Amino acid sequence: MATIQTRAIPKSYSLPQASGAKIASPSTSRLLPTGPAFVSHLRLTKHHGHSFDAHDDFVEKERQRWEELQASAINGEDDLGVGDEPETDDLLSLDPKEWKKHDYYAVLGLSHLRYKATPEQIKIAHRKKVLKHHPDKKVTTTSTPQSTSSLLQGLNLNTNDDAFFKCIQKAHEVLTNPEKRRQYDSVDHELVEQQEDTPTAASFKSKKTDFFKAFGPVYEREARFSRKQPVPMLGDVDASKEHVEGFYDFWYNFDSWRSFEWLDKEVNEGSDNRDDKRYTEKKNKSERARRKKEDTARLRQIVDLTLSLDPRIKRIKQEEKEAREAKKAAKSAPASGTVTPKKTKEQEEEEKRKKEEEEKVAKAEAKKAKAAAANAAKKARRAARAAEEAGGVNGSA
Amino acid sequence: MTSTPPAAESTIPAVVGINFGNSFASIAVFTKEGLAECIANEDGERQIACAVSFFGEEMYIGNQAKNQLVKNSKNTIVGFRNLLGKKFSEIPQSQATTSAPVIQHPDIPDEPAYKVEVLQPAPSPLPTSNVNTPAASSAPTPRSEPIPTQRILSVSEVTVIFLKSLLQSAQDFLGKPIQGAVITVPSHFTDVQKDALEKAASEAGVKVYQLLEEAAAVASTTTTEAWSPNLSTDRTQLVVDVGASSLHLSLLSLRQGLAHVLASHSQENDPTVGGDAIDSKLITFFANEFTKKTKTPLSVCQPTPASTADARAEAKLRLAVEHTKRTLSASPGAATCSVESLKDGLDFTGSVNRMRFDMLARPIYTSISSSISQLLEKANVDPTQVDEIVYVGGTTCLPGLDEHICLDGGFSEGINTPFTMGTVVGGGIGDPATVLARGCALQAALIESLLSSSSDQEKELLKAFNRTTELSEAKVTSKTLGLLFPDGEERLEGDNLGGTFVPVILKETTLPARRSITFDVQLSDESKRFAFELWEVSEGIRVEKVKPPKVELSDAEEDEEEEEEEEIETKHKTISKETLLGAAEGEAKLGIQAKGGSASANKAGLGKWTSTMEATVVVTEKGAVEVVVKEVGKDGVEIKLSVSAP
Repeated sequence: MATIQTRAIPKSYSLPQASGAKIASPSTSRLLPTGPAFVSHLRLTKHHGHSFDAHDDFVEKERQRWEELQASAINGEDDLGVGDEPETDDLLSLDPKEWKKHDYYAVLGLSHLRYKATPEQIKIAHRKKVLKHHPDKKVTTTSTPQSTSSLLQGLNLNTNDDAFFKCIQKAHEVLTNPEKRRQYDSVDHELVEQQEDTPTAASFKSKKTDFFKAFGPVYEREARFSRKQPVPMLGDVDASKEHVEGFYDFWYNFDSWRSFEWLDKEVNEGSDNRDDKRYTEKKNKSERARRKKEDTARLRQIVDLTLSLDPRIKRIKQEEKEAREAKKAAKSAPASGTVTPKKTKEQEEEEKRKKEEEEKVAKAEAKKAKAAAANAAKKARRAARAAEEAGGVNGSA
Repeated sequence: MTSTPPAAESTIPAVVGINFGNSFASIAVFTKEGLAECIANEDGERQIACAVSFFGEEMYIGNQAKNQLVKNSKNTIVGFRNLLGKKFSEIPQSQATTSAPVIQHPDIPDEPAYKVEVLQPAPSPLPTSNVNTPAASSAPTPRSEPIPTQRILSVSEVTVIFLKSLLQSAQDFLGKPIQGAVITVPSHFTDVQKDALEKAASEAGVKVYQLLEEAAAVASTTTTEAWSPNLSTDRTQLVVDVGASSLHLSLLSLRQGLAHVLASHSQENDPTVGGDAIDSKLITFFANEFTKKTKTPLSVCQPTPASTADARAEAKLRLAVEHTKRTLSASPGAATCSVESLKDGLDFTGSVNRMRFDMLARPIYTSISSSISQLLEKANVDPTQVDEIVYVGGTTCLPGLDEHICLDGGFSEGINTPFTMGTVVGGGIGDPATVLARGCALQAALIESLLSSSSDQEKELLKAFNRTTELSEAKVTSKTLGLLFPDGEERLEGDNLGGTFVPVILKETTLPARRSITFDVQLSDESKRFAFELWEVSEGIRVEKVKPPKVELSDAEEDEEEEEEEEIETKHKTISKETLLGAAEGEAKLGIQAKGGSASANKAGLGKWTSTMEATVVVTEKGAVEVVVKEVGKDGVEIKLSVSAP
């Protein structure tokens, strides 16, 4: 709007007295029912009681809501939370020949999701990486820095140009194939690293860390291997008896899909020797079985350790005892009437005796639990052996 | 009044705007860019002829059907929109038509219908089996010839067929099913006709969100920001809608997006106005050329065609001049018209330049502009008070028409038309052929957004788009309201208001209204005092017979307009004070002294003290006025003035 300029009022100017006049009475008209302004007018008159302030508030709120909607539409729909991970030089200089040792999730930029990544996310992540690293694009992007380097380097880079792209393709191939992905997830680098610092009885005692903080994550990462989902977690101090019992029951009968084919030794490619092949296969098989056994034993150990350190077991015992006592008291109460405070000595003695008894019971129960665990382990071993034999028969057949 | 967030959405609303005229239709949808765009049908036509034609087993819709008017006119149906919802007895029978005649429906009493001859596919031969085929032949049994039959189509059936094809085009463009549509209706449509149209649309498979009157569809487009970023949001607009055989004029008052009709005028089926009339003039011209060149008599545009050859030649020419008119609109040079085998196997090529064409079309131009003058007279609005002319319809793309209207109508020189804004060509937003469809699409998206909102309050607003609603009733101011800054100077010419008048709320502004303006106030040197008066004024036109002396007044309201060159009559917009509503004064705190007196200041020494003020005027629905004048900046002075409701 062009600025309007007024002139100064004369010195002699005096304010005219308001005559009390009103504006000419408004006439009635029919608006054309069209356009956003019409809707605004309706809102103003119908909902906001003709108040411009209320209407302004409303418009502002609508605008904010709109912006939020826009923002969420952009973030939510596009990449399902795949996001963008920085690519380190180490990652970019991976050798595609060493593909077995790669971290495929890192290659695809999914290291924050790992085994939790859904097939859709893997697809999106792969597409993103391909768009960035396709050799067709590299030609233009890498040619400029190459020109500054020496000829030899340039040649080297050229031959290695699509190395990372090959890694991406390999990673995509593995992660999109459910069987291959299972094998890979079984021996995921990150997991193996984490498993190395599982707390032992000695380390737990020396560090005096919180029981739940120490063991909670362990179970969380082992849970992925369960064929049965969802997996009961460790829980917290106040977990109910049912939960604790269910937890140990589940983990003593843990049904794992973890397998170790990924670590198989390659059959020597060059040789056509059947004996050679068979030998390697046999070796691989036994190695797989050994690893599986080790893994089962390892998990068993962890569960044993947890059970022995679990503070809730003690609590539950205590509760059971109290319940029993309460029952007894309820039985004896109507006979004796009010409890006399004089019999303190007798009571103390009784309590001592009971404590001792309970400790005995607890020990016995722990023994029982151990025996049961051993039994279960035996069973598992037997089952594994049977499965292997069956597999062997199938394989040879 | 601030408008709601733009209709552009991340997901394109699956709505369509349909301009359903009697002769041509157009469809608009939202594109990926979030703009309402007029789209082409499968034939690549943005202006889709309202015609349905039957030829043998085939059915043609749109411009292909229109071409059938030459050879297959008896089976071609045109002009059905206006008959929608009418009884057979209401339709005048006198008009001679070249297309399929309207007849009484044989089964339904008093129902207009069309009879067309079609070929019905013969029933498929019996399935061959081992039982009924004695000698197996390797060749399949040829299908029998299709059987010629007659098909009776009621007007609403034809409409359904046509609307279906429009919707199909829109659906193909969007790639998803259409949720709803807004369709234009002419203002003369009765409720019965509107019902019939709604029914036809729902049979065609789309929910009608609103039947929008053509003037409203125009307002829907022209109140968007994309239409005119430079025009004021408060303006008076003249809509000139020239159809093929009709003329609609509406005078709209736009006040910050709210529109209401001041006066309207419509002529239907009038042979003296519209595109067909211009076509007839042009055809007659070319037919005479043809006769001159080939010595073959050809008479066209007669009430009864002299021969079938003449009738066919006329139909051919009618199709050909369409192209000629488009060429004339687009380029300043001459345009050709070529018809192969116009009559007796003779080809024809003729050309017409713009000047000759305008001469031919002058009677129609004159008739339109006189209608405009009548309308303005009826509305008691002077041509100079019209701020903008909006053209609707393909015929209005003719530059000659624009020139004629602007000169003949006595509009001010600075009037905005799509031609002065340069939006006619290029198929942009100002393209007269697409304005209505765009408006409908915008409106459809607006209603869609209300429908999708979760709150009941918003849903309640939808009632406003029903036909019988009281929600569109509104109170409007009857006089212009403004602030007067007195300066005590006597003026010899113009309005002697005794100060600078700043109009704030124009007349016909819908209540409640709120307007803000910003301006620089000059303060008195000693006391930094300023004062303002709130006045109600009436606007008038003063006609002077003599050329006024060239005096430049600072008053923004005083634009001088010359009407026509021959006359020395000039028109001035005048303002006369009517009622003083109140006055207030105050002392500015944030005054700034300009460095050095400017030439116009005409005072020695230092410049003047000025301060920037923002005035907000609110008029409630009852008529109470509240004025707040505030200095722009921190700690500025604030003065309030309120006037109670009448």
